[in-house]
Amino acid sequence: MKKLGVLLALTLGALAMGQKPGGILRAGMQTDPVGLDPHTTNATASRNVLENIYDTLVMLDSRGRIVPGLAQSWSVSPDGLTWTFRLRPGVTFHNGDPLKASDVAFSINRIKDPATKSPRANDFALVRSVTAPNDSTVVITLSQPFTPLLAKLAFSTNVIVSEKVARENGNDLNKAIIGTGPFRFVEYIPQTRLVVRKWDRYWQKDNQGRPLPYLDGITYTFYPDPAARTTALRAGAVDWIEYVPAADVRPLKADRNLTVAGGPSANFRALYFNTTREPYNNLKVRQAIAYAIDKKAIVDLALFGTGGIVARGTTIPSGAYAYTHSPYNTRDVAKARQLLAEAGFPNGFTMNLYVTSTYDFLRTPADVIRDNLAEVGIRVNIQAEDWNVYLPKALRSEFDVTLLGTSGQADPDDYLFNTFHPSSALNLSKYRNDRVTQLLEQGRRVASQAERQRIYTQVQELVLQDSPMVFLFHSAQYEAMHRRVQGFLHFPNTSYLAFRYTWLQ
Amino acid sequence: MLGYVVHRLVAAIPTLLGVAILTFLLMRAVPGDVVTSLVGLEANVSPERMAELRRLFGLDLPLHVQFGQWLGAVLQGDFGSSLRTGREVSQDLALRFPVTLQLTLMSLLTALLVAVPLGVLAAIRRGGLVDYFASLFAILGLSVPGFFLALLLILLFALALGWLPPAGFVPFTENPGENLRHMILPALSLGLILAGAVTRILRSSMLEVLSRDYIRTARAKGLSERVVIFRHALRNALIPVVTVIGIQFGSLLGGAVIIEQVFSLPGVGRFALEGINLRDYPVVQGTVLFVATAAVLVNLLVDLLYSLIDPRIRYE
Repeated sequence: MKKLGVLLALTLGALAMGQKPGGILRAGMQTDPVGLDPHTTNATASRNVLENIYDTLVMLDSRGRIVPGLAQSWSVSPDGLTWTFRLRPGVTFHNGDPLKASDVAFSINRIKDPATKSPRANDFALVRSVTAPNDSTVVITLSQPFTPLLAKLAFSTNVIVSEKVARENGNDLNKAIIGTGPFRFVEYIPQTRLVVRKWDRYWQKDNQGRPLPYLDGITYTFYPDPAARTTALRAGAVDWIEYVPAADVRPLKADRNLTVAGGPSANFRALYFNTTREPYNNLKVRQAIAYAIDKKAIVDLALFGTGGIVARGTTIPSGAYAYTHSPYNTRDVAKARQLLAEAGFPNGFTMNLYVTSTYDFLRTPADVIRDNLAEVGIRVNIQAEDWNVYLPKALRSEFDVTLLGTSGQADPDDYLFNTFHPSSALNLSKYRNDRVTQLLEQGRRVASQAERQRIYTQVQELVLQDSPMVFLFHSAQYEAMHRRVQGFLHFPNTSYLAFRYTWLQ
Repeated sequence: MLGYVVHRLVAAIPTLLGVAILTFLLMRAVPGDVVTSLVGLEANVSPERMAELRRLFGLDLPLHVQFGQWLGAVLQGDFGSSLRTGREVSQDLALRFPVTLQLTLMSLLTALLVAVPLGVLAAIRRGGLVDYFASLFAILGLSVPGFFLALLLILLFALALGWLPPAGFVPFTENPGENLRHMILPALSLGLILAGAVTRILRSSMLEVLSRDYIRTARAKGLSERVVIFRHALRNALIPVVTVIGIQFGSLLGGAVIIEQVFSLPGVGRFALEGINLRDYPVVQGTVLFVATAAVLVNLLVDLLYSLIDPRIRYE
């Protein structure tokens, strides 16, 4: 580990020598942004472009840690209700206006305002008020302590927009795309290209004091077909592509002109039981299925070995809060059979597995699960439907068993509260354990990391015992690029903030 | 003639109204709506908040009110705005329709350039080498899917030879040369497939015409073979070809969705597809109505073309 650290430091040191300003990066994206107003969209495709045009108050780095963004420092009152942020001086919007604290207050209130129709209004549900006592100070007052606030502020579409620009454009920011980020918006021709250019007065500098970004600009083009995307990279039509299909990762890695970045991302994929339905309301049935499933086989067969990593714990993929000692990490068919017999199903039963056919990574694991469960006498009946048909039903928990998962960001609360608290709309297995509920609420109020770690470890142990879901794997995501693209880092939350430090050789 | 055109246009109104109503109802019969696609999975939005979002999008109004509002605006030339991107539907259609039109015209041109000589030669040299080749070509055209041909063409011309870009689009007004370079492979993918069918139709139609009495008469009065073939036979044999091309024209205008997807072309088909996936009602309704109108007009044009080729066909 130490060796690795030294190696990493050496590599970074070497890289730090070579940064070269200039050049336009041609990026091959999967789909067009779905709207360009950062506050009214939840689409990853919009975020991927907008996050480098706008800035957030605090940011996530490539290791998922919170670092200063437009706020250079912040403090919390002892009761945890008042957060005071100091803004970085000298930040200007792309129209030349200076950033003011009132813009920050306006932005958060805009997300909260129902009329904005923001899908992320819930992030700030506990925010009572946002005020700007002077041009460089923002005060956020909460109705109850909420430690995950920073993670919500760091979410890449919860960006700071200009109050003046919004007012001038009737509050429609789809056509007035003016942020404070490293790249300014130039043009967008739907399904053809989106162009951004370097913002000369961007505030961030590299560690040697040189201005960022290095690139003169980025031209995004859109290739919805995955084969077209990889072909465009190999034919030299683009320098960089996103969403490399799992099956293409190895061939692209083998190409000497290309490099592939990526790996496990901030998400989880699981088998959800509807714990209010027979026989899945039976703890032993749920545990038996968890023991019977071969998670490694799912990753190796359904995901080509590259599409994800086996889940060793619950919903959190990695980091300080990840619990990795799941009792189901070793497959145990005998134990599964025994539990089924104890539950009154010595000969198994028929299980209806409802999945979406739209995403391979949520569809193909079903085949492995069917084979696994056949060994313990459970006959799996797979029903697959289009995402748009599937999702509304899944959100209403209209299934016996389903395959799904969500993405988290930086805070364990994203992964745990959303999935296991009875009040959460994403508690699709209708799981309820009063002790867990209590701990989850406590985790939101507590500020100390050690204390939170203790709480969340306990939550995960209890959840694994109750087995409302079988945690299968964490999806991986890959970006591939030509060798001359340097300095690009894969972020686990799949953000492309690294374009700020990317250069062309 | 003019009376006929006016009559046809008036008769198209109920058709288009039917298309509009059907599209409207079908889109609402499909599960999921724009709020589901907007919220997705990540934001943890409560059912109450979902209901409020539906109200804000006007999706809680009775269906006939929603339809009335939409149709009223369309009749005044306002196709509305996308629920997701806020962009005006008419503005996006104006960007995309030229792409689809260009692709359609280039594909049809490719098909004709290949099929007419091949079909005529196959009929004249019936049973000869050219005829066998034409049959083989026609069978391949009828059985190979367009997207598969597209992948083969990309492998050859973009990856192996590097002559043409594998995908993407440049507007004609910006750089005509680059625009054509990007359109060649998509046009070939659609055109060569279509050429298969056209070759076959033209060959059998030519054979039938060549056995007619007036061809024998033409030959008997000493006309050169060229005049017999092109002036007398081909002209009459073209009628079924025009029918096929006309039908293809109409359907290609609706967007060759798969080819547009494979080559990342910003055409009408991909626009509609995105609208359908996001349950973006104004986008889908506007696009379908626009394409239906275009198809009606093309049909009319084809009918008028018949009388141009064969003066015996008259419209009153």
